[in-house]
Amino acid sequence: MKIIIDGKELEVEGKKTILNIAQENDIFIPSLCDHPRLAPFGGCRLCIVEIKGRKNYAPSCCTYADDGMEIKTKTPRLQRLRREILELILSEHPNACLICSEKENCDDYKSTIRKVGETTGCVLCSNNGRCELQDIVETQQIEQVKFPSFYRDFEVKKSDPFFDRNYNLCILCGRCVRICHEVRGASAIAFVNRGSQTVVGTVLDLPLLDSGCQFCGACVDVCPTGALTERAIKYEMLPEETKKSVCPLCSAGCELKIDLMGGKILGSKPSEDGAVNRGQACVKGRFIIRDLVYSPRRILKPLIRANKKLEEVSWEEALDFVTRRLKKYKGKEIALITSPQLSCEDNYLFQKFARERLKTENIGSSYSFSPLAVYHEMSQKNQLGLALNFKIRDISKAKVIFLLGEDLAVSHPLIWLEVLEAVKNGAKLIVASPNELPLNRFSSLWLQIKPGSEFHLLSFLSRILIENGGAGRLSRIEEFDSFKNSLNKLDISQVFEITGITEKELIKTARLLLEEEPAAFLFGMGLTQHPWGSQNVAALQNLALQTQAQLFPLGLENNLRGLFEVGRNYPDKGLAFNKIIQGASSGDIKALYLAGPMPYLNKAKLEFLVLQDCYINENFELADAVLPATTFAETEGTFINEEGRVQRFKKVVEPVGDAKPDWWVISQLACKMGNKGFNYKDVSGIMKEMSKVIPGFSNISYLKLENGKEIFIRDEKKRRKSFIPLKDNGPLYKTSKKYPYLLFVDYSLDYYRSLPLGRESLGLRKIRDSRWIKISPEDAKKLKLDEGESLRVESSSGSFNGFVKIIESMPKGTISTSLLWSEDSDFSAVSFFTGFFQEENALGMLPVKIKRGK
Amino acid sequence: MKEKILSKHFVLENFYKIDVYLQKKGYQAVKKALNEKTPENILEEVKAANLRGRGGAGFPAGVKWSFVPQQVDKPKYLCVNADEGEPGTFKDRYIMSHDPHLLLEGIIITSYCVGIHTAFIYIRGEYEAVALRLEKAISEAYKNGFLGKNILESGFDLDVYVHRGAGAYICGEETALLESLEGKRGNPRLKPPFPASIGLFQSPTVINNVETLSNIPSIILKGAKWFCKKGLPEDGGTRIFGVSGMVKKPGIYELSIGTNLKDIIFKHAKGMAEGKKLKAVIPGGLSAPILKADEIDIKMDFDSLVNANSMLGSAAIVVIDEDTSILDVLKVVTRFYSHESCGQCTPCRIGSSWINKIVRRICDGKGKNGDIDNIIRLASNILGNTLCPLGDAAAMPILAIIKKFREEIESYVSN
Ligand SMILES: Cc1cc2nc3c(=O)[nH]c(=O)nc-3n(C[C@H](O)[C@H](O)[C@H](O)COP(=O)(O)O)c2cc1C
Ligand code: SF4
Ligand code: SF4
Ligand code: SF4
Ligand code: SF4
Ligand code: SF4
Ligand code: FES
Repeated sequence: MKIIIDGKELEVEGKKTILNIAQENDIFIPSLCDHPRLAPFGGCRLCIVEIKGRKNYAPSCCTYADDGMEIKTKTPRLQRLRREILELILSEHPNACLICSEKENCDDYKSTIRKVGETTGCVLCSNNGRCELQDIVETQQIEQVKFPSFYRDFEVKKSDPFFDRNYNLCILCGRCVRICHEVRGASAIAFVNRGSQTVVGTVLDLPLLDSGCQFCGACVDVCPTGALTERAIKYEMLPEETKKSVCPLCSAGCELKIDLMGGKILGSKPSEDGAVNRGQACVKGRFIIRDLVYSPRRILKPLIRANKKLEEVSWEEALDFVTRRLKKYKGKEIALITSPQLSCEDNYLFQKFARERLKTENIGSSYSFSPLAVYHEMSQKNQLGLALNFKIRDISKAKVIFLLGEDLAVSHPLIWLEVLEAVKNGAKLIVASPNELPLNRFSSLWLQIKPGSEFHLLSFLSRILIENGGAGRLSRIEEFDSFKNSLNKLDISQVFEITGITEKELIKTARLLLEEEPAAFLFGMGLTQHPWGSQNVAALQNLALQTQAQLFPLGLENNLRGLFEVGRNYPDKGLAFNKIIQGASSGDIKALYLAGPMPYLNKAKLEFLVLQDCYINENFELADAVLPATTFAETEGTFINEEGRVQRFKKVVEPVGDAKPDWWVISQLACKMGNKGFNYKDVSGIMKEMSKVIPGFSNISYLKLENGKEIFIRDEKKRRKSFIPLKDNGPLYKTSKKYPYLLFVDYSLDYYRSLPLGRESLGLRKIRDSRWIKISPEDAKKLKLDEGESLRVESSSGSFNGFVKIIESMPKGTISTSLLWSEDSDFSAVSFFTGFFQEENALGMLPVKIKRGK
Repeated sequence: MKEKILSKHFVLENFYKIDVYLQKKGYQAVKKALNEKTPENILEEVKAANLRGRGGAGFPAGVKWSFVPQQVDKPKYLCVNADEGEPGTFKDRYIMSHDPHLLLEGIIITSYCVGIHTAFIYIRGEYEAVALRLEKAISEAYKNGFLGKNILESGFDLDVYVHRGAGAYICGEETALLESLEGKRGNPRLKPPFPASIGLFQSPTVINNVETLSNIPSIILKGAKWFCKKGLPEDGGTRIFGVSGMVKKPGIYELSIGTNLKDIIFKHAKGMAEGKKLKAVIPGGLSAPILKADEIDIKMDFDSLVNANSMLGSAAIVVIDEDTSILDVLKVVTRFYSHESCGQCTPCRIGSSWINKIVRRICDGKGKNGDIDNIIRLASNILGNTLCPLGDAAAMPILAIIKKFREEIESYVSN
C-alpha cells in the first residue's frame, strides 16, 4: 500500500500506525504517551496529523495507515495546536526552566541541584538531561505558557523500596499504568479520581508493597518525566557511558544496559533489544546489580593464613602459597566446588584444572534441583527423550499452557511475561500448585494438588487420555506398550484422595490438553525437587508425547546449563556435592577449593581450605587462603541460559580492589603448578579451545556472537522419541504427631555466589526476606503467632530460625521458606540442600515442628 | 398526538407488575417476534422503521445491529444504556419505573434478532429504587417464561442482569460503560474497533439506550410504516421530551419527532412560569448548543437541529428565562464537564479545567481582558481533538453560549 506523508510517497506493508511509519522514515511527529511495547492510547494528543478528507485531526499513534492516505504532519495550524496542547500540559508541570530564555547559559554555569524537597523546575529535577518531556518541549519552540502555573501539590511517595513517585511531575501519559497492566500483568497502579484531580495511584492509596507491585521497574523505565525515579541514582549525575551486559541472577539471562559514571556503575536497565527480555527485567536485574558489585562484603585483597591469622598479601605471594600447599594433595583427598553462576569459560577451566592437574574427579557444585538438573541426571542414565533447547518466545504462541511446580512471579519473571502474552492471545492456562500463586488469577483452571502428588496427577491424566482413544497414532512411538502396561499397573483407586483433585477437574484438564494446540508444559523445581523427581519428569514427558506438547524445563541458576555442558566430556565419577561435604567432615577430603557457595564448614576436618569468592562469607575465617574474585561485571565470558542460548557478556567496569577473574586465577595456579596447556592470554583462547574439544560448543565463536548472531548450544545427545514406563513412588511425605507440619522450599534464587541478595538490598528484603517462614493464617492463629515473630523450625535432621510471615495462600498444615540464609543460625544459603534435607539428590518436603522463639 | 408509544401506560396504577402488564396485552410483541418472525425479518423491520438512537447520537438502531458479525465463536452481548447522566434528562427513568416490561420486551426481541443470550442493563447508581423495580420485573419475567431457557418454547435463551453504576457521567459513553461493566475504571476506549465487533469482554456487543429499545415492541406489533408515520420518514417514531426549567408545567411529553420546539414549550408545557420572558433553550441535554429565544421555531428532529448548529441529543429541553444570568448557565456547564472528564486526554482534562477556573474567576468578579478569547481558544482546541465525544460535548455548548451571549458575558468581565 502507498501513503503520502508530507508529500513523500511511502510504500507500507502490514498494519501500522501513521506514527510508526513516520518514525521508520525519519519524519518527526512529537508524541508522549505512545510507547513501542504498549497498545495505542491516544491520550496526550501531541501526535495529531492532518489526513486529507477527514474533518478532524487524527492522533497518528492510534490511526492506522490506509492505502492512498495523504497525511500532513507540519501545517502551521497543526503546529500551533500541538504547542497549545503542550502548553496545557506545562501549565500543570514545573515549567520555569523549560521556557527560560537563559536555558543555554544556565546549563553551562549551573549544575543540577537535585537534592531538594520540591521540584519546581528542571534544574531541581532528577530527570534533568534525560527527560523525554524536556526533549519534546525543545522541539516545539515554546516561549511562554499562557496560563499561570498550577502546582497540584501531591505528596511525594517515598515509602516504597527502590523508587519514588512524585506525581507533581506526572503528565498522565498512562505509560506506567499500561506497562504494569498490559505487559507485567501486575496491575498495581491505575488512574484514580477524575477530571483535573486525575492521578496515578494504588488501590486505597496503599504503598506499592501492599498493592501487588513486583518492583520490576518497568514503570520507571517508560515514564517520560521525572515522576518516577530510581532512588539510588536520584541525586547522581547523568551517566557518561552505557555498556551492555547479561544479568547473572536467574536462568532467563536478561540483557542489561549498565550506566556508568567515572568508571563506576550507576545502575542497570533492561535492554530494549535484548533477545530474551525485550526491554523487561525484574527487581534483581533492575535494582540490585549495583549493590552486588559494590557490596561492602566484597573481598578486595588476596589473603593467606600466616601465624594463624589471615594476612593481606600480593597475588604473587598468594598464588605461590596456594600452589605450594595444593601440590600436596591429589585425587580423592581433594575436592573443588564451582558455581553455576560462573561463566562457561571459568567452569571449563575448573574442570580441566581439577582433572588434569589435581587428578581428581571431585568437582561439585551446589545447585537447585531444577528441571535442568534432573534432566542432566536423567541424561547420564540415557533416559532423556525430548529436546532440551527451547525458545522462551514460543511460550507466547501456545494455546494451552500447563504449569507445574513454579511460582513464576518470583523465580521466572520473564517466563511470566510470555505466559501472560499467551493468555492475552486466548491461551488456556492450567496451574497445578498446592498454594495459590499470583499467576493463578490468569488461569482457566487451578488444580490445587496436595504437596508432592504430581506424579499421580500426571499418570492419571495419561490414563484418561489412553482410555479415551487416541492411542492409535501413539502406539507407533517406542515403548508405548510398556508405558501402557506400567500405567495399568498403577493403583489409581485413591488418586482423588492422594491428589486432592476431583474427577471432574481431571477430565476438564485432559480435555483442555487435547483440544487446544500447540500445548506448552512449563515445569520447575516444585516438580523435580522430590526424591522421585525423575519419575515426575518421565510422567510429564509421556503426557507431552500424548498431547504433542512442547516441554519447557525451567532452570534456576543463570549458567547451570553451561556448567553441565562444559563437563560433558568427562565421565561423572567424582563425589556429588553432598558427599564432598560429608568427606570434608569425615576427614577423607583434606583439601577443599571453594569457588562456589558452601555451608559453614566449622565441623569439617580440613587441612587446607581455599576460598575464591567475591564476598566475605561464613567460611572466610576458616580459610587458609582467600582469593578475591571478580563479579560478572568485572570480567567477561559466556553464559548459557535456560533456553540453551549462548550469551556473551563483556567487562563493564574495572574490578574492585585486586579482584581477578576466576579463569585467570585458575590458569595462573595451573601454570605455576607446572602444567602446560593453561597459558591463556584471555577468555577467547579458552572459548577457542572449548569449541574444539566440546562437541556442543563447536558452533560457538565470539565473533559470531558479537555480530548479533543467535547461537544455541548444540544438543549432542541422540534424542529418541520414546515413552518411559512409570514406577510408583510409594507413599508421599507423611507428617507425624511429632512433626505435624510439612516444610517446602520456595523457588527464589536470591543470591549471587555466596551473597544473599537481601543482605545488601534492604528493598529486596522488604519484598521477600529469605528469613521469612511462611505460614497460613489458620495455622498462625492456631499457634498464636504474630507476623514478624521469631520462629524455630525443627526436623529430625536439624533446625533453623526465621520470622513469621503470614500468607493468605499458604495451604493449611504447610510452611515454606526460601533456600537461603538465616542470619542468626548456622544454617546458611546452601545448607538447605544438604544438612537439612537428607535425600541425596532432592530437596523434597520435610515433616517439621514449629516453635515460637529462637 | 392520539396514541402514544412509550408513555401510554405511565398513568396506570401498578403497570410495572407483570400481571397488570399481561392484562393489557403485554408480551404480545415478544410472542409475535419469537413465534412468527425470523431474526432477519425483525432486522428488516427495524431498519425500515428508521429508529434512531435515543441516547444522544441518533445512530439508526437497525444499521447498528447489522454490524454485529453473524458467525463468531464468542458470545454476543447486549448492553442497555440506562446511565441517563446527561443533565436535564429523566426519560429513561420513567420508562423503567412505570413500564419496565416494555423495556424487557425490547431487550428480548433485540437479543433474539442479533443472536444474543446475555443482556446487561447498566443503570446509573442513583436510580436505586428503579434498579430494584427492574430486578423485580426481571424475576417476574423469568417466572413467566419470558426470560431464561427456551423462551416460549422457541428454543431461544436469554439472561438479563442489572448492573448499577457508581456515579460517573462518562460511564454513559458506550465504551466507558463497557469498561465499567467489566469491572474496570470507566475510561472510554479508542474507536475503532467498534463495540459491534469488539465490545464487552472482547466480544461483539450491541449498546442501545433504554428508550431506543422500548420502541422495538411497537415496531414489531404495528410495523415499520406505522412507526415512520408517527415521526418523520427518515427519523421514525416519537420522543419523550423532558422539559425542565422555567416553564409552567415541567415534565415529560411524548410527542412526534419533528414537533416544533415552540409548541412544546408554549403549548404542552404551558409556557413560561411567572410570566417571565424566554431567554434561551438548551434543546437536547446539557451538551446541546444553546438556542436563543428567537431560534426556537424549529422542528425537533436530529437533522433540523444539526442544521441549526445544535443537536437533539437526549431530547431534554432546558428552558431559561430572562432572570437567569447566562454566566450561571456557563458556570454549570463548565463545572460539570471539567468535573466529569475522565482525565485520559490532555485537551479535555486540562482544557476543561482551565475553562472552569476562568469562568469561576469571572463569576467571582475578577474577570480579565482576554478571558473570553481564552475560553474560546481553549474550547476550540478541545473540539474534535479528544479521545471520546465528551470533549466535544463540553466544548460545543461553551462555544455556543459565548457566541450567542458574548455581550452579556463581557459585561460581567468588565464589571
Ligand atoms: C459523555 C457521554 C455520555 C453519554 N451518556 C449516555 C447516557 O447516559 N445514556 C445513553 O443512553 N447514552 C449516553 N451516551 C451515548 C452513548 O455513548 C451511546 O451512543 C448510546 O448509548 C447508544 O445508544 P442509542 O444508539 O440507542 O442511542 C453518552 C455519550 C457520551 C459521549
Ligand atoms: S520532569 Fe523533565 S521537564 Fe519536568 S522538571 Fe523534570 S526534567 Fe524538567
Ligand atoms: S514496578 Fe512493575 S509491578 Fe510495580 S508498579 Fe511499576 S510496573 Fe507495576
Ligand atoms: S507517572 Fe510517568 S509514566 Fe506514569 S502517567 Fe505519569 S508521566 Fe506517565
Ligand atoms: S534475575 Fe532473571 S529475570 Fe531478573 S533481570 Fe536477571 S535474568 Fe532477568
Ligand atoms: S475526552 Fe475527556 S472524557 Fe473523553 S477520554 Fe478524553 S479526558 Fe476522558
Ligand atoms: S502519542 Fe498519540 S496521543 Fe499521545
